[in-house]
Amino acid sequence: MPALLEVRGLSTRFTTRDGIVKAVDGVSFALEPGKTLGVVGESGSGKSVTALSMMRLVAEPQGKIVGGEVLFKGADVLKMSEREVRDMRGNRIAMIFQDPMTSLNPVFRVGRQIGESLILHKGMSRKDAFDRAVQLLDMVGIPNARDRAKDYPHQFSGGMRQRAMIAMALACDPDILIADEPTTALDVTIQAQILELIMEMQERTGTAIIIITHDLGVVADIANDVMVMYAGRQVEYGESRHVFGDSLHPYTWGLLDSLPRHDSDEKGELVPIEGQPPSLINVPYGCAFHPRCPYAEEICRSEVPPLLATDTGHLSACHFSADPAFRRGMDRDQERVALK
Amino acid sequence: MLKYTVRRIFQMIPVFIGVTLILFILRAPGVLPGDPVRMITGERAIPDALREQIVKKHALDQPLHRQYVIYIGNLLQGDLGESYQRGRPVLDIFADKFPNTLRLAFAGIIVEIIIGLTAGIISAVRQYSFLDVLVTLSTSILVSVPVFWLGMLFQIFFGIKLKEWTGGAVHLPISQMSSAEFPDWAHLILPAITLASVSTAYVARIMRSQMLEAMGQDYIRTALAKGLTRRAVTFRHGLKNALIPVVTFVGIDFGVMMGGAILTETVFSWPGVGREIFLAVGQRDWPIVMGGVIIIVFLVMIINLIVDLSYALLDPRIRYGGDAE
Amino acid sequence: MTDHREERPNPRSGVPTDVGGHETRDEATTLPVLPGDLHAVTGLSSRTLWGDAWRRLRRNKLAIIGLIWIVAVVLMTVSADLWVAPLFGDPLTVDTTPGASLQSPSLEHPFGTDKLGRDVFARVVYGARVSLTVGVLAVSISLAIGLMLGALSGYYGRFVDTLVMRSADVFFAFPYILFAIALIAVLGPSYRNVFIAIGILGWPSIARVFRSSILSVKENEYVDAARAMGASDFRIMFRHIMPNAIAPIIVYGTMSIGGAIITEAALSFLGMGVQPPTPSWGLMLSDAKSLMFRAPWLTIWPGFAILTTVLAFVLMGDGLRDALDVKMKE
Repeated sequence: MPALLEVRGLSTRFTTRDGIVKAVDGVSFALEPGKTLGVVGESGSGKSVTALSMMRLVAEPQGKIVGGEVLFKGADVLKMSEREVRDMRGNRIAMIFQDPMTSLNPVFRVGRQIGESLILHKGMSRKDAFDRAVQLLDMVGIPNARDRAKDYPHQFSGGMRQRAMIAMALACDPDILIADEPTTALDVTIQAQILELIMEMQERTGTAIIIITHDLGVVADIANDVMVMYAGRQVEYGESRHVFGDSLHPYTWGLLDSLPRHDSDEKGELVPIEGQPPSLINVPYGCAFHPRCPYAEEICRSEVPPLLATDTGHLSACHFSADPAFRRGMDRDQERVALK
Repeated sequence: MLKYTVRRIFQMIPVFIGVTLILFILRAPGVLPGDPVRMITGERAIPDALREQIVKKHALDQPLHRQYVIYIGNLLQGDLGESYQRGRPVLDIFADKFPNTLRLAFAGIIVEIIIGLTAGIISAVRQYSFLDVLVTLSTSILVSVPVFWLGMLFQIFFGIKLKEWTGGAVHLPISQMSSAEFPDWAHLILPAITLASVSTAYVARIMRSQMLEAMGQDYIRTALAKGLTRRAVTFRHGLKNALIPVVTFVGIDFGVMMGGAILTETVFSWPGVGREIFLAVGQRDWPIVMGGVIIIVFLVMIINLIVDLSYALLDPRIRYGGDAE
Repeated sequence: MTDHREERPNPRSGVPTDVGGHETRDEATTLPVLPGDLHAVTGLSSRTLWGDAWRRLRRNKLAIIGLIWIVAVVLMTVSADLWVAPLFGDPLTVDTTPGASLQSPSLEHPFGTDKLGRDVFARVVYGARVSLTVGVLAVSISLAIGLMLGALSGYYGRFVDTLVMRSADVFFAFPYILFAIALIAVLGPSYRNVFIAIGILGWPSIARVFRSSILSVKENEYVDAARAMGASDFRIMFRHIMPNAIAPIIVYGTMSIGGAIITEAALSFLGMGVQPPTPSWGLMLSDAKSLMFRAPWLTIWPGFAILTTVLAFVLMGDGLRDALDVKMKE
């Protein structure tokens, strides 16, 4: 199947008082219709900016997309006119954000905010748009949708607001739904419900999903493909089962180790990755991860590792990804950790 | 909403008591180094018999708390005393001045809204542009200008110099009595701009910062992600949020203007409450001065209450309770 | 005059919250600043704090212009007896010789002469004495009352807090200039009573500002630590809280001097302030009112003096606010 979305070498920079921030540095990936891509990384790894860049929503003039292509159904979003981009936003590609508390406008009724894109993109009347908004709220599981549509956001609970955000994003039946940390700001119990809802909506509408999160656990269950980002670059990318099962990058290992294990009764020890994510103004020379990498060697400090295909076919950006001995060594490490 | 209204009115009670207490203290004997009788009669010699009579009437020989009760009773009945020099009740004197002050303050508010909001919005939308710098700089200067001086400059420039330079073709009326050649509203132009000058600068500043703050919020990004035009996002989603605090400021300013009008009215010989107070100051006719102050103070309190209530109408977070930030 | 409601634009607005490494950047690249609690404990870092502020202030051109103007006005008015009176004439001496009054500006009288033949330039220079004195004294009174009540309110909270803050509300309910007029009506119009009245009216703003900075400082652990070590309330307040809560007060105080100068001028203009023949800018404008078309110089110069002096304090205050990184929101 042809890719619905193909991103090639996307790079975005921010000019700040202290210097230039390379928020996204040459990121490439593809998304097929109806599939789910998980984008994973610590905060500040450039995941959100990647998404905003695809929507051309990077705040100018501080932020600027400096290179690459974002091909949506073959057309480069980065070369589109302002008008074409607007026609696409909210209509073909929709987005939901991390904090549903602040992402809804406090002074407009929920129903109206959902209907807004229908009026805009589908040319609906206010009345029709409102009726459709009620249907959508009902679909995302808001009880008494017709009454609740007349409420203001602050009258909704956090989970309900995120449901409303999802309804808003799905209003125009988009090809792609970008969910930027959709559960981070929510209670743990609500998180699962929202994830479930997103998957249910995907089944129902067939929309492709890009889910951005710092939580590997979130994507493990639902993503077909996973992209791991670090310091604005992708470090590992491929089918979910390979990235998780046959991971070849120490950073991904670190992420996996810092994950609570749901699959065993054993209380596995959580191992956080040591050190801080780097400043994106002075990205460490060579492999950006080397200051925190327990396996770093001379080459890691001097050369940027290329993103190369591994045996399993997924991509990894570590100098030693192709080294079988290195991998075996790691397997032992992991076992040790698991045994402790 | 009803609950909110009731709560607001209840919250006003301590302020009301405080305000009347201060007004009372200002004329109560023995509290401040002033002669209460002097505050009631103005500064002129009075026969002892009359003095006696005044002390009796205002219960000045009674304990303070009794005096306070009597004082409040009089206030609530609209009895602000009498101008002993003109022999008229103070309330009467102000009755026909009041509409003029109201009219002037109203015109001032219109100036403030039109110029202040526009300047603030332009400044925010074009942040760091030449216009933004211009607005920021002129607001700094404007808050430092004494309004009465500004009024005088306006009169010199628009009333006289402009007339000289254009051979009498173009000029503006400089006071209400100046001439019949102008339509009624034209007399309001200069006083209204003068009265509104400082407030306009503040409104522009607040509008700018509120707008910038609103435009940095997450819901703006949501609106952009929907595919709305930047203009629609700015003026629908941004402006509506930014306006709420600004409208409150403007509302409260209406009261501030009524109080501050004394300077503008004095400069333009505008026959309002403020000018009456000014004239009374010159004659040391304290009952009129205090009466005028009291009228304005109560008016300001009422305006502030109305503003508070309308704030709730504007902001659904307050109207429907909930966790407003 | 409207009270000083200052809004500080958020320098970060307009930038999305997650711009990839925004947080990291702050952590990684800004100079290490000692946390507030160390200032009081070591007493050492205050040098860097004020040094930092001074460096930032020096880079602010407008603030420096304001500062230079304030210094110039002070120098001019302090030395006035030495040069103004001999060169341009005494500001109080009435000149009744025919033709002496209402002269338009000339070399001899750069700002012209007034109705009584007095040199306007001399009066403007001497008027600065009144303005600055009233400004400084009034703000000192406001500070004395405001800091005390603000401290009580912020430190003890509860009943005291409610009482003080409700009283502040009451003061705010009055239109400023009318309250001043009412107060002076009772005290009697005079030079002294002007600054007393302005000073009394200024306390609520100071108290509010000080209270809120105390509240934010009070939460710090070192205050608890000091208390645990048995420091007295008084000592905690002045040794530990004051130094950290003072920056907003400096900013607010500077701006208030400008406000007090304008208020003095307004009161004198209305006849409720400084009484003739003392040269006061407001009083001069009051005299100029009936002559403003015949002798516009009588209007222009005193007003210009008020504008520039007040503006100098406002710019200075703005600069201090930015330099000390004080957030003002009321």
